[in-house]
Amino acid sequence: MKIVMVLLLILCGSATATEDKYVFASEERAATFRELTHELRCPKCQNQNIADSDAVVAKDLRDKVLSLVNDGKSKQEVIDYMIDRYGYFVHYQPPVTPATIILWVLPVLIVVIGFGFIVFRQKKASRKQTWSSEDEQKLAKLIQQYQRREQ
Amino acid sequence: MNRKLLGLIPFLIFILLCVFLYQGLFGNPRELQTGRIGHTMPSFTLPDLMDEQKQWQDKDLIGDVYLLNVWGTWCPTCIAELSYLTELKEQGVKIIGLYYEQAYDPDFGDQFDINKLRAEVQAMLARTGNPYQFNILDLNRTLALDLGVSGAPETFLVDKKGTILLHHTGDINQRVWRSKFAPKIMELTQ
Repeated sequence: MKIVMVLLLILCGSATATEDKYVFASEERAATFRELTHELRCPKCQNQNIADSDAVVAKDLRDKVLSLVNDGKSKQEVIDYMIDRYGYFVHYQPPVTPATIILWVLPVLIVVIGFGFIVFRQKKASRKQTWSSEDEQKLAKLIQQYQRREQ
Repeated sequence: MNRKLLGLIPFLIFILLCVFLYQGLFGNPRELQTGRIGHTMPSFTLPDLMDEQKQWQDKDLIGDVYLLNVWGTWCPTCIAELSYLTELKEQGVKIIGLYYEQAYDPDFGDQFDINKLRAEVQAMLARTGNPYQFNILDLNRTLALDLGVSGAPETFLVDKKGTILLHHTGDINQRVWRSKFAPKIMELTQ
């Protein structure tokens, strides 16, 4: 049994070693490639990034990202290249357009309106109260009552 | 009066949320707005599926309204739509095939047998009807990538100047044709 386990472990080792088939000129480019493959979305297996997906198109996109990065393209240039072909869907960061502006504006708007509402209510509540001599007498009576109970 | 209106706000938010979520039930997440719509066909030079001597270029396709149908014999939905596409061809629609070879990847040491593929395609088209004027072989899926193709079947509608007007993901059937393609083609021919 132990021998089988050891053999399996060795097999695992070789499986992870094969992942390093991508060769880069610099560590910086390797980092850009890693970031891009995690940020770009697979158009076929939706909700997976292209690093994660096994779809043919994800492999093609990874290869394309690799060749673009190795050509010295910047991160933004690669993203634009992909958006040109696959649309905004391919990038996990949605662009600010008239259709998507609500994503940024709505949370801020809700907070601002909420605070405005609270402040407005407090002001209104404090304005309503007028203090008359009648209220003064009522208050004095109440104080007296409670004082007696305490004794 | 004011208080009543304020009380209605949560209800209104609830209704809006309901409408939003209800719409989501019928949305098709595969229906993507890809980047090439409104642009001209990307330039390419690719061989004919049946004759590697014949090279097709983007320039060769200009001058006609046509459908570019991305397909492969490995794709069941593509096979299912072939007979409807053949009907369309008989009605006079020009259809060009872009053969999307899924299984080929030189990184994995895949061997590619063009003769076997040709025999397979011919046998398939003999069974279902052949809608294609010709087929372009995109072995490395480079044109597919430039077009924003994510799989098969996908179909592009291209006008006389080579501008891409529609990108449809999934099969073409009578419903899709009538609602999506026919109105655009009517516009073009008028």
